[in-house]
Amino acid sequence: MAAAGGVSTDDVPILQAENLTSNVKSVYYSRTFLSIIGGVVAGIWGFTGLMGFVFYFLIMMVASIGLLAKSKFSVQAYFDSWTRISIEGVFGGLMSFVLFWTFAYDIVHIF
Amino acid sequence: MAEDLVLDTAIRDWVLIPLSVVMVLIGVLRYFVSKLMRSPATSPSPDPKLVKEGQVVIRARNLRTNAQFIPAKAFKARKVYYTNEENGLLHVPKEDAQKAQAAMFSDPNMAMDMMKKNLSMIVPQTLTFAWVNFFFSGFVAAKIPFPLTQRFRGMLQNGIDLSTVDVSYVSSRSWYFLNLFGLRGLFSLILGEENATDDAQKMMQMGGGFGFNPTMSLGAEKDSLDIMQHDWALPKMERHAEDVLKQLLKK
Repeated sequence: MAAAGGVSTDDVPILQAENLTSNVKSVYYSRTFLSIIGGVVAGIWGFTGLMGFVFYFLIMMVASIGLLAKSKFSVQAYFDSWTRISIEGVFGGLMSFVLFWTFAYDIVHIF
Repeated sequence: MAEDLVLDTAIRDWVLIPLSVVMVLIGVLRYFVSKLMRSPATSPSPDPKLVKEGQVVIRARNLRTNAQFIPAKAFKARKVYYTNEENGLLHVPKEDAQKAQAAMFSDPNMAMDMMKKNLSMIVPQTLTFAWVNFFFSGFVAAKIPFPLTQRFRGMLQNGIDLSTVDVSYVSSRSWYFLNLFGLRGLFSLILGEENATDDAQKMMQMGGGFGFNPTMSLGAEKDSLDIMQHDWALPKMERHAEDVLKQLLKK
């Protein structure tokens, strides 16, 4: 991540658009990657039903905490709002998670 | 409760894995084909008027996003320069607007580009769906690891006409659709930001810079600039610097 702007105590957001776009893209790539890896892990582990979806949201929460730690817990310096790093993109990887979860589960436990 | 089926390992080797591999390879192939079809479009020299209008829109947007760094008088002067009703850069006379619309309808390159894009999206899906139907019809391909109600039977077991099979067992057609939607994240990872499947964002970006309808872009930018409220950031920065210096002097 690159610093999108300085910390400003006033209400004027001073953000560099290119760095902000790059940061949002990094968040998207990391969430997608963790969705796929989490799907494979859930499938191999044998999660079924609600446990798999709980595992997915747990992974998304860990991703949010990891991204927060990556930005040194100063969200204002890298993004324009808290929802960028904590909420946005959580549901985007759900289809990838379901696909790889089903695939790994079938390879290991069904066939 | 329906009985649990024991799926043959040959189903895994000859239905599930080939279908998944083919879906991934077709996505990669579609990316390269659309890239090849896109590259000759940039080689002919673009219309100077369209380039000029696109640059004007970009400059106006830069003024709108960075207006807080200049004083109010400078911003007002630039705003009048862009949005003046007689000779402003963003002003489009009515006859020019009508000419632009006529040119848009008669431009064959635009229709050709959109047709190429539609072909690169629809033709692989149609061929793949036909291939799945021909080779893998009637197979119980996979089991979804979460329960679903009977209402999903018609959707998930399309191609399998057995009412006693549990709904979580899906056919190869359902596996095709699950791959179609689920592999988008994987494609964005392995193909990068130039992924051709994200056409919506690309359309928005293209529409923002060099719009399909220049009069619409100019008019929208003019309206945005008209309603904008200017707020100079430098006095706030001076106050912030004063606070920082006071804190430093306290130590």
